[in-house]
Amino acid sequence: MMSWLTDMWNRFYDTMIVDDRYLQIFWGLGNTLLITVCAILMGTVIGTIIAMIKAKVFNPRNIVLKAIVKILDVVGSVYLTIIRGTPMILQLMIMYYVILTNITNGVTVACIAFGINSGAYVAEVIRTGILSVDKGQMEAGRSLGLTQTTTMFKIIFPQALKNVLPALGNEFIALLKETSVAGYIGIHDLTKGSDIIRTTTYESFIPLISAGLVYLVLVVGLTSLLGCLERRLRKSDIR
Amino acid sequence: MISVKNLEKAFGENKVLCGINQEIKKGEKVVVVGPSGSGKSTFLRCLNLLELPTGGEIWFEGNNITDPKCDINKLRQKMGMVFQHFNLFPHLTVKKNITLAPVHLKLMSQKEADELAMQLLARVGLAEKADAYPNQLSGGQKQRIAIVRALAMKPDVMLFDEPTSALDPEMVGEVLQVMKQLAEEGMTMVVVTHEMGFAREVATRVLFMDQGQVLEEAPPEEFFAHPKNARLQDFLSKVL
Repeated sequence: MMSWLTDMWNRFYDTMIVDDRYLQIFWGLGNTLLITVCAILMGTVIGTIIAMIKAKVFNPRNIVLKAIVKILDVVGSVYLTIIRGTPMILQLMIMYYVILTNITNGVTVACIAFGINSGAYVAEVIRTGILSVDKGQMEAGRSLGLTQTTTMFKIIFPQALKNVLPALGNEFIALLKETSVAGYIGIHDLTKGSDIIRTTTYESFIPLISAGLVYLVLVVGLTSLLGCLERRLRKSDIR
Repeated sequence: MISVKNLEKAFGENKVLCGINQEIKKGEKVVVVGPSGSGKSTFLRCLNLLELPTGGEIWFEGNNITDPKCDINKLRQKMGMVFQHFNLFPHLTVKKNITLAPVHLKLMSQKEADELAMQLLARVGLAEKADAYPNQLSGGQKQRIAIVRALAMKPDVMLFDEPTSALDPEMVGEVLQVMKQLAEEGMTMVVVTHEMGFAREVATRVLFMDQGQVLEEAPPEEFFAHPKNARLQDFLSKVL
């Protein structure tokens, strides 16, 4: 047992500590987090807007506004179809090599690509949430003279969010791990970092398992963060 | 105060209201009764445009609210509504339920609204529930809170959509008591209900609706003692 441990430590030392190779993991982690956080923010904004359009939240009486809402609805449907109908890696490569060719910073492109991708999934999750709130809530808000938008943000949204937080958490966890394909456009992320160590040292076990453990810690952290938020939102359920 | 001219509402092919003409004056307590599916709830919901009429006009305090240019949010502030299923906001405390709209619409400061809320809650006997959440209350308590929430906007008219239909029988009384008290204070009220006792006691005028039309209207004494319409006679013989 003792000899196995010392053997492990020596392997770890040779692959990770020598030449400061652990920095590969460290910098990779930075990029992974940066892309994830940007994509979550962007995805939430896009998703919320698309969800509100798709859940028919806006129904103005004005004819011109009605037409605009109708057009946005079609745009939203096309967006959802394309993003959910094609692989993430392909979307990332198309963004990098075809659409955003004048942005040379791969991380920026990845933030945008993952944000747009996540937006489509978040949109469906939030739309489900909005539809899960009883119609009477909107009517009650409106009957007090609140506008549709105010009722949406003050009354419907907090309840919708509570209902879909687990599903939303799922999406964010999936997104965090999905960023591991960023290496395809040459971004030095967590997975790529461990792969670089693997190819330079010909040692697979230590770097790959290390990267896996880092992902695991991140996901566990994110899960407990969402758990905290969920408990706070569920405060009103106590009978 | 409210004047309804030839009001029509259809859901697709299904005509629910077929030409209703009504004049509701300040201080009147109008009770609407009728069999289910007669359009009485739809009529009430048209009054504050929760349902958009497909024909006719509704005038409220000199404004044509069926005109698309009219600012309905402004007018809804003056029309309180109480729903069959309470529709309290479950994620907010009782006090926040009551103060949300008046504070957000800048009708009063949070402090003024809190004071008014406590005052109104005391009046319906629920002051100690100010910091509870709706899920912790009984049906009757929820409905009394819902009435307070509407009253906090200081409305000119109160619309009640079957306020006691979702309650256990023993809780009906406490809600009707609050409504009676409100009526005595001179509030203009339009009430859709199945509580004939309430209609008899509180109403200044009772309307009988069937198949989207008002078939008979009369003061309660006459309405219940000498119904003229055959459909109403039949209805009363079943519910009384």
